[in-house]
Amino acid sequence: MIINYIKIALRSLLKNKGYSFLNIFGLAIGITCASLIFLWVEDEVSFNTNFPNQDQVFYVPTNQNYEGEWRTFYSTPGPLAQDMLDDIPGIEKATRSNLQEILFAFGDNSITRRGRYVDEDFLDIFSLKFIEGNRENAFANPEAIVLTQETSEQLFGKGENAIGKVVKVSNKDNYLVTGVVEDLPKNVTFPFDWIAPFERYAEGEEWMTFYGNNFSDTFVKLASEANFETVDAQVRALIRKKEENTTDYAFLHSIKDWHLRSKFEGGEIVGGRITYVRLFTIIAFIILLIACINFMNLSTARSEKRANEVGVRKAMGSSRGRLITQFISESLILAFIAALVSALFLAVLLPQFNLIIEKDLTLGLGNPIHVLVLLTITIICGVFAGLYPAFYLSSFKPVQVLKGLKVTEGSASFIRKGLVVGQFTVSIVFIIFTILVYQQIQHAKNRDLGYDKDQLLSMRIDEDFIPKFDVIQQELIRTGSVQNATLCNSQLLSGGNNGSGFTWKGGTNTEDVLISFRNVTESFFETTGMEIIEGRGFNKNYEIDSTSVLISQSLAKMMGEENPIGNIINRGDGPLEVVGVVKDYVYGDMFDSSDPVLFMNYPPYARYMFIKTKDGVPVDRALSDIEAVLKTHNPAYPFEYTFVDEAFDAKFKNEQLVGELSQIFAILAILISCLGLFGLAAYTAEQRSKEIGVRKVLGASVSGIVKLLSKDFLKLVGISILISVPIAWYATYSWLQDYAYRIEINWIVFLVAGVLAVIIALATVSFQAIKAAIANPIKSLRTE
Amino acid sequence: MNTKLLSLNEATRTVNSGSNKVTLLDDINLQVNEGEFISLMGPSGSGKSTLLNCIGMLDSFTGGGYTFLGEPVHSMKEKNRSKLYKEYIGFVFQAYHLIDELTVWENIETPLLYKSIKSSERKALVADMLDRFNIVGKKDLFPQQLSGGQQQLVGIARALIGKPKLILADEPTGNLNSKQSTEIMELFSQLNKDGVTIIQATHSEQNAAYGSRIINLLDGKIVEE
Repeated sequence: MIINYIKIALRSLLKNKGYSFLNIFGLAIGITCASLIFLWVEDEVSFNTNFPNQDQVFYVPTNQNYEGEWRTFYSTPGPLAQDMLDDIPGIEKATRSNLQEILFAFGDNSITRRGRYVDEDFLDIFSLKFIEGNRENAFANPEAIVLTQETSEQLFGKGENAIGKVVKVSNKDNYLVTGVVEDLPKNVTFPFDWIAPFERYAEGEEWMTFYGNNFSDTFVKLASEANFETVDAQVRALIRKKEENTTDYAFLHSIKDWHLRSKFEGGEIVGGRITYVRLFTIIAFIILLIACINFMNLSTARSEKRANEVGVRKAMGSSRGRLITQFISESLILAFIAALVSALFLAVLLPQFNLIIEKDLTLGLGNPIHVLVLLTITIICGVFAGLYPAFYLSSFKPVQVLKGLKVTEGSASFIRKGLVVGQFTVSIVFIIFTILVYQQIQHAKNRDLGYDKDQLLSMRIDEDFIPKFDVIQQELIRTGSVQNATLCNSQLLSGGNNGSGFTWKGGTNTEDVLISFRNVTESFFETTGMEIIEGRGFNKNYEIDSTSVLISQSLAKMMGEENPIGNIINRGDGPLEVVGVVKDYVYGDMFDSSDPVLFMNYPPYARYMFIKTKDGVPVDRALSDIEAVLKTHNPAYPFEYTFVDEAFDAKFKNEQLVGELSQIFAILAILISCLGLFGLAAYTAEQRSKEIGVRKVLGASVSGIVKLLSKDFLKLVGISILISVPIAWYATYSWLQDYAYRIEINWIVFLVAGVLAVIIALATVSFQAIKAAIANPIKSLRTE
Repeated sequence: MNTKLLSLNEATRTVNSGSNKVTLLDDINLQVNEGEFISLMGPSGSGKSTLLNCIGMLDSFTGGGYTFLGEPVHSMKEKNRSKLYKEYIGFVFQAYHLIDELTVWENIETPLLYKSIKSSERKALVADMLDRFNIVGKKDLFPQQLSGGQQQLVGIARALIGKPKLILADEPTGNLNSKQSTEIMELFSQLNKDGVTIIQATHSEQNAAYGSRIINLLDGKIVEE
């Protein structure tokens, strides 16, 4: 029996090539799209899950109250880790950790790598696996450093023994390699290329041992018998026990949540990437649904053709159940062919998809779970898409269909119209969402940043560079390629250092205002293009100007109406005099307003150099000029740089990803919907061929007939527009709430999306309509 | 051996068309014995096809009694009814109604599939039938590749494959030319001689004459026998 079904299904496929193509192609696109999303989701949810102790490992963030609002930071006081170990029995391991980018040199080979200064417990918390050396001796030597296999190979060469080798760090300190650990998998949220004892980093920095300074990450591992609630409560109480007059508190944040649930509001987890994971999963199912709808529509539209067969089979003694089985097997066969086609699509598209999402996903058809998922999707699609047509087709009464009576379409035609409306609604929502996401990205990109990010290079520097800066700056300008150069303690776009506890004349309760510090050179404002709107800039000789500060506009506003120039700011370490006001600039979150900033004329804390190249100088020339200058004065360092505008673009990665994926889904949803519409239009035209023939004989024009045939479909698209507008508005409105700096939703967007949908639908339908309209009426009327 | 095959007792069939009740078959009384060859005649709309469909259990009477091989069809459940006609009745249609996607062989085989007969037995039965109708050479062709007469031959072969007691033929030669018609009628004649009961609906006096008994219908009533 099954063989009979398969045979008839395949023959019917071959016989109706166009129809089969529409069906298989549509379903294949749907399956491909859903598979890509599921691969992405699989990767997203796999983060940090490859550790033996994943249930017991926690980040320890702190909640801090500023201006009445709880804000969550990963930075914690230095002594917190040790105090947790001492005071809380449920904490088995704890480590401080500070992420640093440092320069390694071994012989002529020098590279810059990110890594962490950590306590010994780090090795156990993350169960690092040693390839060379061992856990016991790794941190025994205060000058120790442990490298990942990749870093070791880059530094010493492949197959070289690393243990006992001495590398020069930051061009001054010697570190002894005591171990090499396995590279971490890609899907972890705490990557590092090296680890070294925290003591070395904290050497001579007494402030790191006090509460009140938050600067270090803290990771802990709970004892296996420990109760999370009890330990968490103890952790929450700890800082207030140790430090007087603070409302700060730390809490436990599970390693499993770091990647997906790390957005905090008011001190509580409110989501994070999980939102996108959920959103895209829903989208995957919606796209599958659209593809299945196509299938149902095309199948029921063809019912006239199948009706006869149903009648004959019933007359031959087939029960309804057998017919249902037959139709569902047919749709399963189609679904399997579609799955094979989509496997091909996937193989071709995955590399492109990887480029967009910046991941390294593989199809992994050797992975039984992948095969199982694909199989499940296929079977669900096949059964789901086949179910309605099967019940519908098998309900025909043989007497009626065999007599050649018209099949009463009633419910089927209504459902079919509903399904088309459903498809187009989804498509239009995607179109609107895509346009608005792009508008929002452009909106933020075009906002006045308060500085000029173009032609601006950023380079990491070390302490030994700072005394040479004046000479280097002069020589850079002398090359003719460089406008100016400056030093700063943080990247332009990132949050950098901040603190609270400031007081100033005329301000009350100002201690809880969180202010960012920037230690810069006199040339900072000119180089970055920031505007001093009041007062003066810094003196070139920072030693005689070290108590002068410039403040950002928003801080000036907090100081009140009167002229802020000359106001004195206090924070423990001596009074600072405000000498100028700088226009607010955007850093950290590009979609939000940034915290107030305090600029200090103190280059020794600098970690970055910014170079502004001259207008009209080709990038290549500027770069080679800069490299030449740096090679002379700073030969130990490799010439490594980033462009600030590129870093700026990278800040929009998440939004860009959402935008691009939304665009892809919009295109696919429309494509699949149009395949369906195309098929439906074809069958409608065929069904009405007699009517068209009669109308033509009676004198109807071609355009009149095209209008007649297109009208019904356009009505459906019109209804879709009406339904999709509120949905799209709500979706984008909710999405935009995440951004403080956001666009207003403009009704034009809805209009554009609607018109687009109408045009696309019209183009799809009119092809069939015109074909039907120009056909010779004699042909269609001759049949009877 | 005049065994009674079926009997209709004041059987009626009415349908609702809008608010009107339309009577398609009115008080039909009919006894059919095994081995008969009955021709139903009458103008279009007189109820020939409806009567055939109702006898064939594709449709059902709305009133009166219908007994088939001693079983009361009118009070049977759909499932049992379908079992009954699957077993004892074969259909031949004016438009042949072969399944386009199946070959001659497969079309003939289809009723056997629904009777869940084993593959080897099916093969033997279909081969016999092809032999008997002299269409062995055409077994792998599709219906569109055959002439009308040949298609009807396949249709009859398909009706016969289940070894029915009764063949119901609705205008079996309606789409055929006169030479093909004669061949088909000769075939029916032969089948009847072999013991198969046949009821055919026809417009043609000539074809009706092949029957052993002619029943005339008009407006749903038997007017003459």
